[in-house]
Amino acid sequence: MSAYLNTRVSIYAERLWRPVDFDALTRAPDDQLADILAERGLSQLAVGYRDSAGDRDPLSLEQRIIAEVLDETRVLLRPLGGDERDFLLYWTERFEVSNVKTLLRGKMTGERPAALLGRLTPMGAFGRLDVQDLVHAEDVAELMRRLEAGPYAGIVRQARRAFEESQDPFILDAALDRGYYEGLARRARPLEVGAGASMRNLMGPMIDRINLVWLLRYRFNYNLPPAQVYYLLVASHYGLSSERLRRLATLDSLEDILAALPDTIRAVLDGVDNIPDAHARMDQAAADAAVKVLRGGAPAIARAFAYLILRERDLRAVRAVLRGRHLGLPVEAILATTRRAPEGAF
Amino acid sequence: MFRAEPLLRIRLLVLASEAADSALQLARFGVFNPAPEVADALPESPADAYREAWLEADSRIGKLIEQCGETGPVGIPDDAVAPSLADLHELNDWLREIWLACLACRDGEDRIEEERRHLDAIEETLSKLERLNVDLAHLLRADSLLAVNIGSLPAGELRRVGDALSMTGYLVSPFDHVGDQVFAVIAGPRARQEEVRGLMSQAGWRELPVPDELRRHPQAARAWLEEERVRLDELSGAECQVLGGLREKFGPRLREARLRLALARPLAEAALTGVRGKGGLAAFSGWIPRRRLDALREMLETRLRGRYLLDAREPEPGTAETVPSLVRYPGWLRPFVPLVKSYGVPRYGEFDPTLPFAFTYLLLFGAMFGDLGHGGVILLISLALVRRFGRVAFIGVAAGAVSMLFGALYGSIFGYEELFEPIWLSPLHEPTRVLTLAVAFGIGFIVLTLLVNARNKFAAGHASEALFDSAGLAGLVFYLGAVGGVLSLTGAVDLALPAAIVAGLGLAVVAVYKWLETRAGWGERTLVSAIETLETGINLFANTLSFMRVAAFSLNHAALALAIFTLAAGLGAAGHWLTLVLGNVVIIVLEGGIVAIQALRLMYYEGFSRFFSGDGVEFAPLRLAREPGKS
Repeated sequence: MSAYLNTRVSIYAERLWRPVDFDALTRAPDDQLADILAERGLSQLAVGYRDSAGDRDPLSLEQRIIAEVLDETRVLLRPLGGDERDFLLYWTERFEVSNVKTLLRGKMTGERPAALLGRLTPMGAFGRLDVQDLVHAEDVAELMRRLEAGPYAGIVRQARRAFEESQDPFILDAALDRGYYEGLARRARPLEVGAGASMRNLMGPMIDRINLVWLLRYRFNYNLPPAQVYYLLVASHYGLSSERLRRLATLDSLEDILAALPDTIRAVLDGVDNIPDAHARMDQAAADAAVKVLRGGAPAIARAFAYLILRERDLRAVRAVLRGRHLGLPVEAILATTRRAPEGAF
Repeated sequence: MFRAEPLLRIRLLVLASEAADSALQLARFGVFNPAPEVADALPESPADAYREAWLEADSRIGKLIEQCGETGPVGIPDDAVAPSLADLHELNDWLREIWLACLACRDGEDRIEEERRHLDAIEETLSKLERLNVDLAHLLRADSLLAVNIGSLPAGELRRVGDALSMTGYLVSPFDHVGDQVFAVIAGPRARQEEVRGLMSQAGWRELPVPDELRRHPQAARAWLEEERVRLDELSGAECQVLGGLREKFGPRLREARLRLALARPLAEAALTGVRGKGGLAAFSGWIPRRRLDALREMLETRLRGRYLLDAREPEPGTAETVPSLVRYPGWLRPFVPLVKSYGVPRYGEFDPTLPFAFTYLLLFGAMFGDLGHGGVILLISLALVRRFGRVAFIGVAAGAVSMLFGALYGSIFGYEELFEPIWLSPLHEPTRVLTLAVAFGIGFIVLTLLVNARNKFAAGHASEALFDSAGLAGLVFYLGAVGGVLSLTGAVDLALPAAIVAGLGLAVVAVYKWLETRAGWGERTLVSAIETLETGINLFANTLSFMRVAAFSLNHAALALAIFTLAAGLGAAGHWLTLVLGNVVIIVLEGGIVAIQALRLMYYEGFSRFFSGDGVEFAPLRLAREPGKS
């Protein structure tokens, strides 16, 4: 089965975008957009740009991009079983955790069920939430109770307790995110033993990036106290260990934190003086690690995961291009965003 | 019965203000299948708001019924009219109000229950504190430099909270564990208490409410706990009264609300597929059986008195895949419909295979599992299950009866082959004849499927496929020639040359057709057509041989029974009968199950896959809800 998966990943890897492809997409005439997207295996995205079909397609750009990712993940999952399958399935669940956040925010603002439903990402066969039922919850409390009776009970229970005490939506989001990524790191552990260093090489940069960026944001954007910042980070056994995160959280400036990072991460962030740049550099480092795993002789599951990381990164950049075109931004400005396409709505 | 009813595409234009009532009439009409329509002239979706309101109200009433229990059956009067959008909004607001009250009651009950559990935990915890002989008053003093908190947090968070708190000079000391909660004392410099407040809140920390009396005298806790319990009981009584009264107070109106929602449902459902409109007009598009057009006009005239415009037309050529299939089956055939539909829905205009499926499936089952006794057991068990499983159990009844019939033909009863003379033949004694018959049946079956496929292709306007493709008439000519050739080889007939010519002609036509149909370069076309032509021959040959399993299973049945008799013969009286009974149970359950699946497999893969696209659209008419409020 690993031969099948390896072959499938290799075929899919041909769809990854090169800088020249982004250039072509940015400069292409409107009537060629659909064809370019379809050629790169983005058939669902192409629908939105083909004649009048896009006018009738109720899905947003983000939703169509996620649908593409889910489609490919479904194919990659076919030969997998056990921990490997669990891990990739869990990887798709962050879209559903994102739906949980959308639902909660929607209920906080009293959004109409139909409008809220339209903003949720259709999960297709991956969906575990009864969204029709959830959007009709009267308020956050009822929604939380319903969520606690569902598949995300573990993540939501902790978030609810925190939210009930504080009524702060930020705390809710932070608790949900931490719950999700700790689950991901936990599921990656057996694969790191089985698939060796390659899996660790993928998970490490990702969790380190998440932790460092969260740390910087919580510390300097939200001005949270060090102990709370540390508590909100993902328990990690990668480059930024929990012990080091504890030390970093007590430092009082971005410069001090960057200076106290391990050498490898410090090298990546050399010259950085703001949080978005730190994010972009760490994201690039994670992508570089994924490219190495994908092109090397890593186990099939690690290659599949690397492909998905890169594919999503590509699609974020595609989204940036399409949005830039829609807004009529200059070509150079659009291309600049593709070089750093930060993680956003998905 | 062999094909879907002819349908007409209709578009009904009505006043938007009468859309809900029109949808209700269409639902009462019972055979209107709404279908989307792209109409630039009607750019609005006038029923979307109605659907949205209905969905909300339906969700609320569902939750209320779940909370308050059934409110009794609701009949839908013939002259009832559908609520307007304003009515629906009003109803929805009322349901919201009631549901929020209900929710508050339930929340209150949940909170009280949680409080009770918490009090239990506190009692347990305080009894431990008593034994420690700690001066809580001193410990919890607000003017002390040391801030001390007693409370609980989720057990899984303890370590992380301890790590985080240590960054501010705080200590966490757990002293009890109840359920998934850990009771702990958190202590640290009061000057830094603000710093840890957010963290503790985030971690789900719950402060233990230590009463003043307790601070001075831990023993006073008992009295305080008792007071708290009495207070909670009183609160709970009050909450329960609200909940109990809900049903009595609002029961009749809830029943009425269920009725109104049932009446509103047709338009809400039609809106899903798209009710278009413009200005004060709303248009319903969809399908009805041609034979009901006059009845529809009559019904509309009675209800709308000329305030409508009905346009009906035949389905456009080449759109068969979007037209729903409505097939009427006699009652005795209906149990087999789900088995056919589990493969697919016949496309509009396509041959509906349910009737031949039912006969052939039963025939194959009986032929493979022919036993008077075993068939009788299956029949009786199925009859006993009719009430529980409904009409599906009739498949078992029919299969049992056919098994009995073949048992009589084979002379087999509970595996005994010698108790009575077979009316027809004994598979065990004439295996070659059984094999020959099975293959002959297979040939007949395949010929039939090829003919049906040719008919379907003609009906769909694909004449070239019907004539020249491997599953069309050319394939049939090849197959008949090949069968003649094989029969000549066995000496059954003397038609070798004409059979070879016929087979060669058929195959050549198929090859040429494949070559012409393949869109590729010359080399690839040659390769593809050669491989596909070869595949035609191999497939038909393999499919024919596949029917040998019918004979194999009939032999297997007798052989399995023989094995059980041999085993039983080697045992004492009790063991003998026990083995016979258990053996027969195994035969009925295991072999019966396998044969049922094999017969289905033969039908699906040797039959349906040849002529049945199964990608049709099921006719799904608007209907009134049978159980309003349970949608």
